[in-house]
Amino acid sequence: MADVEVAEQPPPPSNTYVIRPNFQHKFRPVIVKECIHTVLNEHLDGKSYDAEEIMDWTKNIADDIKKRLKDMGYERYKFIVQVAIGEQRGEGVKMGARCFWDSDTDNYAQDIYMNDSLFCVAAAFGVFYY
Amino acid sequence: MDDFQSAEETAFVVDEVTNIIKEAIEGAIGGNAYQHNKVNQWTSNVVEQCLNQLTKLGKPFKYIVTCVIMQKNGAGLHTASSCFWDNQTDGSCTVRWENKTMYCIVSVFGLAI
Repeated sequence: MADVEVAEQPPPPSNTYVIRPNFQHKFRPVIVKECIHTVLNEHLDGKSYDAEEIMDWTKNIADDIKKRLKDMGYERYKFIVQVAIGEQRGEGVKMGARCFWDSDTDNYAQDIYMNDSLFCVAAAFGVFYY
Repeated sequence: MDDFQSAEETAFVVDEVTNIIKEAIEGAIGGNAYQHNKVNQWTSNVVEQCLNQLTKLGKPFKYIVTCVIMQKNGAGLHTASSCFWDNQTDGSCTVRWENKTMYCIVSVFGLAI
């Protein structure tokens, strides 16, 4: 018999809508904080405040953190990275944030770098896109 | 009956948000001089007031509001943000405000759901 029975195709999978991130793809503040920490140290170690260059530094740090977050493979996450660098002159500074989001899926991480002449605060927010 | 919302009603309108931020700052800080023990309260008030008004707009957005208050003493401060999102729908807005004794920088990020 030359006839070979064709195996029946399995039915097409029904729609699978993702409304929650997989556990392994969830935004984890601890890991992100570590990432921010390394970036800040790499960029600012041994530097002192320089009004001319500080504009580029803030931008570069923000971009670098964003790039690394993208490389970490968080699927369906949008990222916001905010960086503030200030001169250390004994002035008072307060930074705060508040978010209106889904606390189940969305999260943030932040880290601070300080030396004698400058301080730097970086915060990264990860927002899940349904 | 047309149930569709117009683009204007569901978009992130920067002018609208700018006004909300300015009002929140004026309301929370106004003409006060920098006081160390009040700053905590002020930052909370500013972000809370902003978020309150933003949610009242009833748009399909998640919001992130950040606020930095810094005492003026001649020191410099720079902020930058970098975002990975959908340019078509999401938006941000930053307002810089100052009085005689302090600077206040508020940023709002709106992410469409």
